[in-house]
Amino acid sequence: MLTESRKSLRQLIAGLVIFLVAGLPSTLLAEEAQPADLIQTDKLELGKKVYFKRCVWCHGIEGEGNGPSADRLFTRPRNFIQGTFKIRWTDSGDLPLDQNLIDTVKNGLPGSAMPSWSGILSEDEIEAVVQFVKSLVQDRDFADEDEEVYVQDFGSNPWGTKGPYHFGVPQEDIDAGKEIFLKNKCFECHGGEGRGDGNPTMKDDWGFAIMAADWQQCWNFRGSRRNHFDPFNIVRTISTGMNGTPMPNFKDKITIEDRWKLAAFVNSLCPRKKIDRLTNKPINDFLIKSKRRIGAVSTDFNDPMWQAPDDDDRIKSRASDYEGNQYWHFVAVAGQITRGERNFKPKVDNLWVMSNWSEEEQAIYYLVEYHNRFLSVDPAYPDAVAIQWPGQLEELFGAEKPYFIFGDSKKPVDLWKANFMVKDYSDTAAPNPNGYDLDVTVEELVGNGFEAIFPKETPGGVQVVNSKYHQGRVKIMFKRSLMTENPDKTDVQIPIKTYIPIAFMEWSGWAQEHDEHMAISTWLYTILEPDLPKSLVYMPPIMATAWFGFQMWLVWMTKRTRKMAAEGKVK
Amino acid sequence: MNNVVKGLILYVVGWAAFHYGLFPLMTPKEPTWIVNRYVYYLLFVAYCLAFNLVLKLKPPISLNGLAVFLLGFYFYQSVLFPPIPWTLLITYMMLWGIGTFLYVSQDPATFAEFRKPIVRTVTGEYKLARYIVFASMPLLVGFGTYQFIYPSFPEPVELRTVHPAPPATTRVHGKNFTLEGLQNPFRIDEQDNYKDSFPFLDADKQEYMKSVTEGGTIFFRECHYCHGDQLNGLGMFSHVFNPTPANFVDPGTIAMLRESFLFWRVAKGGPGLPNESTPWSSAMPAWEEHLKTDEIWKVILFEYWYTGWHPRTFDEESSAAGGGE
Repeated sequence: MLTESRKSLRQLIAGLVIFLVAGLPSTLLAEEAQPADLIQTDKLELGKKVYFKRCVWCHGIEGEGNGPSADRLFTRPRNFIQGTFKIRWTDSGDLPLDQNLIDTVKNGLPGSAMPSWSGILSEDEIEAVVQFVKSLVQDRDFADEDEEVYVQDFGSNPWGTKGPYHFGVPQEDIDAGKEIFLKNKCFECHGGEGRGDGNPTMKDDWGFAIMAADWQQCWNFRGSRRNHFDPFNIVRTISTGMNGTPMPNFKDKITIEDRWKLAAFVNSLCPRKKIDRLTNKPINDFLIKSKRRIGAVSTDFNDPMWQAPDDDDRIKSRASDYEGNQYWHFVAVAGQITRGERNFKPKVDNLWVMSNWSEEEQAIYYLVEYHNRFLSVDPAYPDAVAIQWPGQLEELFGAEKPYFIFGDSKKPVDLWKANFMVKDYSDTAAPNPNGYDLDVTVEELVGNGFEAIFPKETPGGVQVVNSKYHQGRVKIMFKRSLMTENPDKTDVQIPIKTYIPIAFMEWSGWAQEHDEHMAISTWLYTILEPDLPKSLVYMPPIMATAWFGFQMWLVWMTKRTRKMAAEGKVK
Repeated sequence: MNNVVKGLILYVVGWAAFHYGLFPLMTPKEPTWIVNRYVYYLLFVAYCLAFNLVLKLKPPISLNGLAVFLLGFYFYQSVLFPPIPWTLLITYMMLWGIGTFLYVSQDPATFAEFRKPIVRTVTGEYKLARYIVFASMPLLVGFGTYQFIYPSFPEPVELRTVHPAPPATTRVHGKNFTLEGLQNPFRIDEQDNYKDSFPFLDADKQEYMKSVTEGGTIFFRECHYCHGDQLNGLGMFSHVFNPTPANFVDPGTIAMLRESFLFWRVAKGGPGLPNESTPWSSAMPAWEEHLKTDEIWKVILFEYWYTGWHPRTFDEESSAAGGGE
């Protein structure tokens, strides 16, 4: 009894202290060290049960990050032994707070295999498993007096912007953030435009290769806490660094006001897309609409017909002076893990596609863009991207399609593959604002299954009419005529106003991807939008006039009925 | 007339307070107790009844009819969970509209009352109303026609059979398996006895957990990319594929299937599906190319152990209860 009341007294005092400390000016608090959160041994039993059912498969029996899945994951599962945790509120190198680990378990680490466990595990289970994970740490001791932690003060959002998209940061603060970005040389790792294309040689504390974050794909930020556009996450990462990775902290180098501005700049680079809460990825566009153009289609990337805002215009309306009517289609890709030499760690996980077609030229154009941090410097493994079509569209019945990877023995696919090497490029060179030209060769292939992919004997005239590699982004523009001579029935014949299956493939030469070791999409559809019908001009007035006539008739009828009722002819 | 305005204000203000105030409180972001939504809806209906009765508003039948119709719309649009597709919404609302009309025309007096303002508008006794209605209706029709003709290209919807009928036999690794009556050779004991066992730690002591551990090891080497670390079909690659990977936690998948069905599906994968199940777009590999027969059975054993489901069986008990198909 005595100990119980003593315990509660101690809790009361602790509460008072916290209350007082929280009331102190925040600058003082930032200097204040506190002991690391102790391991709550009473929760270990439940924690162990949860760990061995849910976590052991990736993080391993001892927590060394060497579970059965580990070797096929990029990024690898965390090794808990050293007590190194990325997402914290504590100083660089410090142990994390319990709350940080709880948030990680609850929200998962987007861009890695770590899922969100909220809704799957109860609050108690999450708290317990965090304690168990702490007990797996061998190299450090949460109870050690030297292991005190400094909890940082990040200030608060100076613009008061609101989620989920956090619009409304003034442009001058974003510009100021860019200056801070240049001054602190963030581009050395994150690249000139933040696509993570700065440094190909980085390693984590355990010697495994690691990539700088691509700021233009913030849904893959590990510390996004499923609140992908919140600048707070970036401020936290800049302030605390990421333990175990080359990401240092800038707590003393950049003032907290400037860290928020830098975060605003980083955050402004990420296109606002609708993020699926379950998968933490933008929602796929399963239909690629090809816009009809009068006259020839431009091959200039900067022409308005190839321009669209990065933000989804269903989220942020287009600027009033915006000329184009185009739209970036988001196409997610995954490693080919079905057959042959499987690819569990694709380097590219999405493509952005846009299309135009010309009635005059009778030709269709597809612009495929994607982020790839580093391109190949070895001619044995060129980079490549391909568009896949059903080879004999007219033979397909209903929803029928060829098998989505390289077709099958009965239903061939038509592959337009652009192989390319970058000219005068080195993956370790400093960011080049002018970009690089590509040396492209187009291959047209017929696929009848994984083992039966052959070059066409009579190619259909696919061209790559423009291409560029610029600050970590590849742009390839394909062109082909809608119809071809097609003597061998190997080319897809492209009709307008019809849903046509289309799929994409991508090979990262830098990671030696080749043949079936690649990234793939599922079957999507594309449609060539036709001209607006003429009836759009005359049908609405006709219908309106007819309706007006009906109204007149209604008045006449009603009055007549009334009159008849008044005369006693009807009741 | 005063009462009508009062009633309208109370409806609108009340709805706003309920919808923006109480509804989010009763339905937190993370899915929770689903009955909350319906309790909330009943509270709202009770509110609507209460203010009409307490203030003795005696609203005209047209306002009552409107309220009934909109209450139905609100239920199907926002309260009902999970949300229904718009095609179904239209069907429901047509039925609901008929119901509302029956309510309005239940007796000649209310119907006459309902009809009166309409007739007066048509005949011109309500002059302003007639001008407004007669001018705006043709414009609306013209606009509707324009909308109807304007070409739009929505993402096509494809229907597929999720669990097709299995074949009688399947040939895996050179051996014929008759699916009827085929049992998992590693299901050597009642699964529920191992609920609290640890994979890896108990693998040496318990034969059953040894198989579960081996199955889990294979699952987390091969399957989790699509089916997810939580077996809920939300793996790292899951968002790429259409059809999306199966969610084993859902009661509609492995919980209602026999293990022999799973064996066939795992061994033959997407390419082994019949045409009605769109074999061309399933990303499921034919696992017989990568796994041994025993390994397939162990993965299946693991999936049931992890999710806690039991495979469907066709024993006498369930057929007596009429559970078969």
